[in-house]
Amino acid sequence: MSAPAVMPPIKRYTGVMDWLTTVDHKKIGLMYFWFVLIMGLVGGALAGMIRIQLATPGAVWDAVQAAQLAGEQLPFNLYSEDRHFFNQIVTMHASVMIFFVIIPGLIAFANYIVPLMIGARDMAFPKMNAFGFWLLIPSAILMMTSFWVQGGAAATGWTAYPPLSLKGAGINPGQDMWIMGVHLAGLSSILAAINFIVTITNMRAPGMGWMKMPLFVWATFFTSIIQLLATPVLAAAVTMVLMDRNFGTTFCDAMKGGDPVLYQHIFWTYSHPAVYIMVLPAFGAISHIIAAFSHKKTFGYLGMVVAIGSITALGFVVWAHHMFTVGMPTGLQAYFMYATLLIGVPTGIKVFSWIATMWGGTLRFTAPMLCGIGFVSLFTIGGFGGLILAMVPTDQSLHDTYFVVGHFHMVLVGGSVLALFGMTYYWWPKMTGRMLSETTSKWVFWLMFWGTMITFMTMHLTGAAGMARRVPVYYADFKILNHITTFGYALTALSSLILFVQLLLSYRRPKITEDDPWKINDVQQSFEWATSSPPPVYNFATVPPIPVADQH
Amino acid sequence: MRRFALVFSWMFVAMSFGSVATGAEVAPSATPSVDTLVKTLNPDIFALDANQRPVHAITNVFTSPASDIARDVASNNWYNLAIYLPFLILPQLVLLFAIYRFRDRKDGRKPATFTGNHTLEIVWTAIPCLALLAVVVPAWKLLWKMELPPAGIERAVVVEVRGKEFAWDYKYQADNLSIGQDVAGIQEPLVLEKDRPAILNMTSNDVNHAWWVPSFGVKKDVIIGRYTNVWFTPDTLGVFKGQCAELCGQGHGIMWISSVVVDSEMFKTYRELLRHRNDTVKIWNLLAPAAVADDKELESQVAKYLEKGRGAGRVLALKYWIATNYASIARRHQPDLTSAQVLERGVARRAQLDAVLARSLSAN
Ligand SMILES: [Cu+2]
Ligand SMILES: [Cu+2]
Repeated sequence: MSAPAVMPPIKRYTGVMDWLTTVDHKKIGLMYFWFVLIMGLVGGALAGMIRIQLATPGAVWDAVQAAQLAGEQLPFNLYSEDRHFFNQIVTMHASVMIFFVIIPGLIAFANYIVPLMIGARDMAFPKMNAFGFWLLIPSAILMMTSFWVQGGAAATGWTAYPPLSLKGAGINPGQDMWIMGVHLAGLSSILAAINFIVTITNMRAPGMGWMKMPLFVWATFFTSIIQLLATPVLAAAVTMVLMDRNFGTTFCDAMKGGDPVLYQHIFWTYSHPAVYIMVLPAFGAISHIIAAFSHKKTFGYLGMVVAIGSITALGFVVWAHHMFTVGMPTGLQAYFMYATLLIGVPTGIKVFSWIATMWGGTLRFTAPMLCGIGFVSLFTIGGFGGLILAMVPTDQSLHDTYFVVGHFHMVLVGGSVLALFGMTYYWWPKMTGRMLSETTSKWVFWLMFWGTMITFMTMHLTGAAGMARRVPVYYADFKILNHITTFGYALTALSSLILFVQLLLSYRRPKITEDDPWKINDVQQSFEWATSSPPPVYNFATVPPIPVADQH
Repeated sequence: MRRFALVFSWMFVAMSFGSVATGAEVAPSATPSVDTLVKTLNPDIFALDANQRPVHAITNVFTSPASDIARDVASNNWYNLAIYLPFLILPQLVLLFAIYRFRDRKDGRKPATFTGNHTLEIVWTAIPCLALLAVVVPAWKLLWKMELPPAGIERAVVVEVRGKEFAWDYKYQADNLSIGQDVAGIQEPLVLEKDRPAILNMTSNDVNHAWWVPSFGVKKDVIIGRYTNVWFTPDTLGVFKGQCAELCGQGHGIMWISSVVVDSEMFKTYRELLRHRNDTVKIWNLLAPAAVADDKELESQVAKYLEKGRGAGRVLALKYWIATNYASIARRHQPDLTSAQVLERGVARRAQLDAVLARSLSAN
């Protein structure tokens, strides 16, 4: 008998080095989370600059222009240089919020919670998981520092439509930096997606069949499929622009035989499914939150899974509803209109099922539950705007107006962001072992709820009244509506700041000792409440029995 | 008030099928004076704020449709809303009820344990499907109507529209008459005839733009390398405002659109005015605020102008364009003249021109 092979000692770090070298999904999840919080403040600040500019029909510029005419030297003239700066802010607000807040925000929770929910000890590829997170840092640096290069940041909207995005090639590197940033963020998404698919497929605890998987796991699974299939398409689209700008190709240059509309098709082939990347995990998490605090099991589990699956599938075949004004063949427009409307059916199933989950329960209105209910309410309103926009004749009036802006913010802020708040309140005790103050949390919720409502409901009206989006000045007719919108923004900003401070201070609150601080595990179908808060490095000493055996 | 009307019509009066037109009425006049003509055909230059932004109220397709397409779009939208609204309101009401009814009163009530109900699930899948059919069929019909060439196409006004950073050029294709930016660089309105189909064939010189006048109910991207088109029949007299609706760079926000709908008489007059426009440039150069208005030279230029024709239309055109140019110049910041000074000078020079014209016309 030979001597057992001696394992080389594993080098363990502490403190900062521990975080920098960790491959633990929980630590990576928390790093994602703090990255998202900070970028959220950045994106929110950019939104604030937009709202200050738009608070009046053009007050900031008017003031700056008047000062310049009077020969005054301005201490700082963000707005006066040219109107391009406004477009840069608009572009970066969208890019930060999409690529560094909502998508990684949902990945943050998936990273932390999914392995726990399926009773796994880590992700399938822990090092790839860490790599995926660390890719976001150079990506964010590339995008944010582009403000200080010649010509400033990309100013073409997050859609980066050519020929506009082809301008300044070789002179202004902002657009190129944006494209490289998108590439890195996209690579990060793809790596995370592969990791989730492999983890969920292979590492479920014994006895957890596909149809016993918690809904958040299902949602992450479908989201990962979208990310895996769609993100390369976005990479292809922005690469065309990159090559056109730098290597003399003419994919998008109409004067040299290219086609700017081709880019739009390829771009939206990613970017429509991307909106489901930004909301499906929220669907999953909300199901858990509502079930937990109604003290019931989720209503219509199978219907929920099928609904997420069909939204995933339909999401891939409706992209051109973003392009109803480019002059597509009529038959195509009719098809895209119908396909888009069809998405309303599975979405409706989800909304009805959430309400049915609450029906007959004993509702506890904790902060996460409030966020959950707020999500259902605001998401329904947001989706309603989508139904209106899907109608081609109406859309040809509403396209590229504030109605569209109001619609997708209602879905993304009232939906995804509010869900992220809810997920934070729900899982924070599990993730850090510390309860948050319910009073503060409820303030955060109500401020966010009414802020969202005021800001984005008003935007719908502004758009219907005829205000185009991405404009720094507007007809005086829209003044009052824009005042209201800016007021609503202030509420959401206040809410986010309170949340940020609340989470920072939470590290000084006492540790909890329970595994299941919300006392909900008798109705939850996952393992995360069956281990300590926070869980040990290895998650589970022994895999516990599945808490709820029968989902149906 | 109109803002409130809009809010209310959106939130509560979704079922009102008919809509009210509110475009500012422009009264046609049998023998309009030059100033009335300018005000009718180019109202923007009298209504710009200090930053060359039009202050005319912008109207929208839902509360003030002003073309056949717009009326269809608006009523189609109210119809859709009527079908959609229950799907918005009912879940919210049920949600509110559930929040109230099933709150935990700490009275030891046990939560229900059901986890599904197949009948219910089938019903709430089937009903939305039916509702979708109910909205999609009329929308399909309207879509085809919008896409197929309009009735009366043979008498349509065909306009070639060119978007460029950050203004619009228009050309009436029947007689090759162009409009674009006036002497002060201010965007000129597109003049269209009431109850006569307008066909816009659009393309771009540079990046993508989108031509959009809300009250006409049409919006189409304007793309380099291809033509896109829209058609509609304006059916209300007035000034209709719009805005470029596709991010096109720095000046996107100030890429205004303006369209004036006039009756057929006025439209004929307008084309006549346009026809003589280029010939008035030399005379304008003599009369412009910065120029020295020399009577002798003016007389010889006016004589040259009249050589090509001395009909009433041609004379009116000369007066019209000089008046328009002055109104427009007064809106732009001039190096050493205030707006009032420009207008004052304009009155004097137009009188000078009138005198010269009267002399030249009576000379033969
Ligand atoms: Cu979409
Ligand atoms: Cu534009």
